[in-house]
Amino acid sequence: MKKTLWGTVLLSAMLALGACSGESASAPKNSDGSKSTGSNETFTYASTSDAVGLSPILMNDAVSANVTEHVYEQLFTLNGDTKEFEPLLAESYENPDENTWVIKLKEGIKFHDGTPFNAEAVKYTFDKLRDPATAAPRASLLEPVDVINVIDENTVEIKTKYPYGPFLAALSHTNAAIVSPTADKAQDLMKDPVGTGPYKFVSWTPGDQVELEANEEYWDGAPELKKIVLKVVPEISTAISMLQTGEVQFLDNLPTEQIKRLESMDNINIEKKDGTAVYYMAFNHSQERNQDAEFREAVASAMDRDAFVSKLNGLGVRSDSVIGPQVFGYDESANKAGTPFDIEASKALVEKNGYGDKPIKLLTANRDNFILMAEIVQAQLTEAGFKVEIESMEWATFLDTARAGDYDLTFLSWSNVTADGSELLYPNFHSDNVGSSNRSQYSNPKFDELVVQSRTTIDQDERKEILNEANFLMIEENVVIPMYHGIVTTALDKNYSGVQINPTGKWYLKNVTRK
Amino acid sequence: MIALIVRRAIQLVFLLLGISFLVFSSMFIAPGDPATMVGGPTATESDLVAIRDNLGLNDPFLVQYGRYLGNAVQGDFGYSYQSKQSVSEAIAVRFPNTLKLAIASMIVAIIIGIIAGLISALKHNSWLDVTSTTVALAGISIPNFWLGAILILVFSVNLQWLPVAGLSDPFYTWEGIKQLILPAITLGTGSAAMIARMTRSSILEVVKADYVRTARAKGVKEKNVIWIHTLKNAMIPVITVIGLNFGALLGGTIITEKVFAINGVGRLMIDAIAMRDFPMVQASVLLVATLFVVVNLIVDIVYTMIDPRINYS
Repeated sequence: MKKTLWGTVLLSAMLALGACSGESASAPKNSDGSKSTGSNETFTYASTSDAVGLSPILMNDAVSANVTEHVYEQLFTLNGDTKEFEPLLAESYENPDENTWVIKLKEGIKFHDGTPFNAEAVKYTFDKLRDPATAAPRASLLEPVDVINVIDENTVEIKTKYPYGPFLAALSHTNAAIVSPTADKAQDLMKDPVGTGPYKFVSWTPGDQVELEANEEYWDGAPELKKIVLKVVPEISTAISMLQTGEVQFLDNLPTEQIKRLESMDNINIEKKDGTAVYYMAFNHSQERNQDAEFREAVASAMDRDAFVSKLNGLGVRSDSVIGPQVFGYDESANKAGTPFDIEASKALVEKNGYGDKPIKLLTANRDNFILMAEIVQAQLTEAGFKVEIESMEWATFLDTARAGDYDLTFLSWSNVTADGSELLYPNFHSDNVGSSNRSQYSNPKFDELVVQSRTTIDQDERKEILNEANFLMIEENVVIPMYHGIVTTALDKNYSGVQINPTGKWYLKNVTRK
Repeated sequence: MIALIVRRAIQLVFLLLGISFLVFSSMFIAPGDPATMVGGPTATESDLVAIRDNLGLNDPFLVQYGRYLGNAVQGDFGYSYQSKQSVSEAIAVRFPNTLKLAIASMIVAIIIGIIAGLISALKHNSWLDVTSTTVALAGISIPNFWLGAILILVFSVNLQWLPVAGLSDPFYTWEGIKQLILPAITLGTGSAAMIARMTRSSILEVVKADYVRTARAKGVKEKNVIWIHTLKNAMIPVITVIGLNFGALLGGTIITEKVFAINGVGRLMIDAIAMRDFPMVQASVLLVATLFVVVNLIVDIVYTMIDPRINYS
């Protein structure tokens, strides 16, 4: 009995010791990485949430996309370096007229179940995505499509209802991946996916893990990693410990507050890349006070955004531009075009117009980075003489409250998976979407027209100019205040290299090799 | 005893009915629209209307509740709004993990708690007693998420004796046991501390009883005085604490499951609440409530076995 008591005492002593040596505890013991290689050919990626479903037609979330991007492929893909859309399953395309896209497909590709990839498969997938009966969450991607015709085995013709500028961006979207028609008719692709990608689906234990294996017959050469596993580890600090001990080889979305710990670990490489996501403070434009341009200017000039971005441990890019530097439609001239930080100017406006009399309701989701933004902005606005009350709420409630426009100011973000400016401006700021995705309730006919033009122009240079004009309109009128643009972060076990990272936050393991 | 079980089973039916009504109505009143969570940030107003129709969310409250009950009594708990997976299947995959975790934690709690309480009581007011009660106090006060994180840093990252997370290997294998150790300690510590305190105070009370003095006066060996006369009688309040704690453990595994990446019912429930996945919330709450009642029933039965004077009929 005494021994057990001693055991208890010893345990508590060890705990106290562990608590005191927090710094050294986070440094890995095995600096040579000898123990951190994990089991030979299984490459494990830790995700803080589980996939929702594995059919590109029906899923609509980033975690599921990490899996489906390895199992399925699209006709086109965004090259992260050149930011150009390149053919993937397509061979080439041409536009005989503004409303017609004739796409030649690569030949000899087969789905994992042996079904040949051809024009029929493309038509089948897109028609299913568009069919109202499917109720696909991203059916709007193909909303401009009028009809899809099979010209021959490897040629498909897509007619749009109107000229559609971001069409290649839409076709390279995760949800526009091509599925095997045979498999889709025979089974539930949400649970048992079949595509043409470099990895084949093996199993999925919901809540626990998804397992994929290399597609040895992959048309572009079999990948070197033979087995990849997406492991659900809800607590990020646990995932980092697993990375440290070699139970996990890869992590993404590294949180700001854990960056120091990660950087102190010597068995991993951290990669940071400027991304397409934008985080901004939105005015609720349905409210009279927010429609006053001088009020918005007073708010904007009270905000020291440089000071805020410096608190992100390098995980944010400061720019006045709403369309971020990694997004199509950005022009460098927009970078510093916003209202500069000038507390005195702000104080003068607040004084002159009595803006401090009525409190401002600053709505925020109770997520760490949003709370941080809210607290800093509250302090800055208070300094200028505004009265700001923060109201924080849990995510689902927040989304509905913001959609209903029950706030004065709030923080919103957009990850922009297509890296196209129209895909940022249309859902978030076009008046068509007030009451749904346009949570700032912004409605401006001139702006609407520019956005529509950017979508219905095929010439990409012309589109870029139109988007730039719309961007400037937003910046100059302080329609929203961009806080920062996201940085895509990953941590990879040093024994591996070759993860291909895209500014949209997507990553590909196809070319990963072991040292 | 059979009458007791039957009576409790009937009570359980009404209890579950009440709980299902409470959960259903609170989910109904709570802000946050399930359709928004299904549709994602880009969903348009017409998308949301279609999703609500599809999920039957446009019907009046009583229609929705009646439909739910009608299906539930036939064993159909519906499908997840999010993953479209069958709720029963989702729970069936996760429940064994939660049960495994709760039982392992209870074993840890009982062993440490009773032994520490016994030592405290027998060496009353000695330094062993003081240490043991101090550790017990700490055990109750330390939050799970902190203890779990520290245990991982010490035993998995630094000493590398145990895996960081997961519960995928069967519990009867060495790997499976290794995976259970840290989560069981994390979850069991609070209960161990409560059991220790209860054991200590209960023994101290029984030791003063007349029959213990009589036993000593009769010349019964000290060992027998402790094991037969004292401990057995002191155990009744301890068993109550164990029972209540076990029920609480089954429903309170959320944080431990999160820290140790265990695929259990607690995590399923909390994720479902965040995503407004009503059928999933409903079924997991009903499961936890049922278990709580069953555990209490078992405790009552154990009472009658330990102390024949207790009679429920």
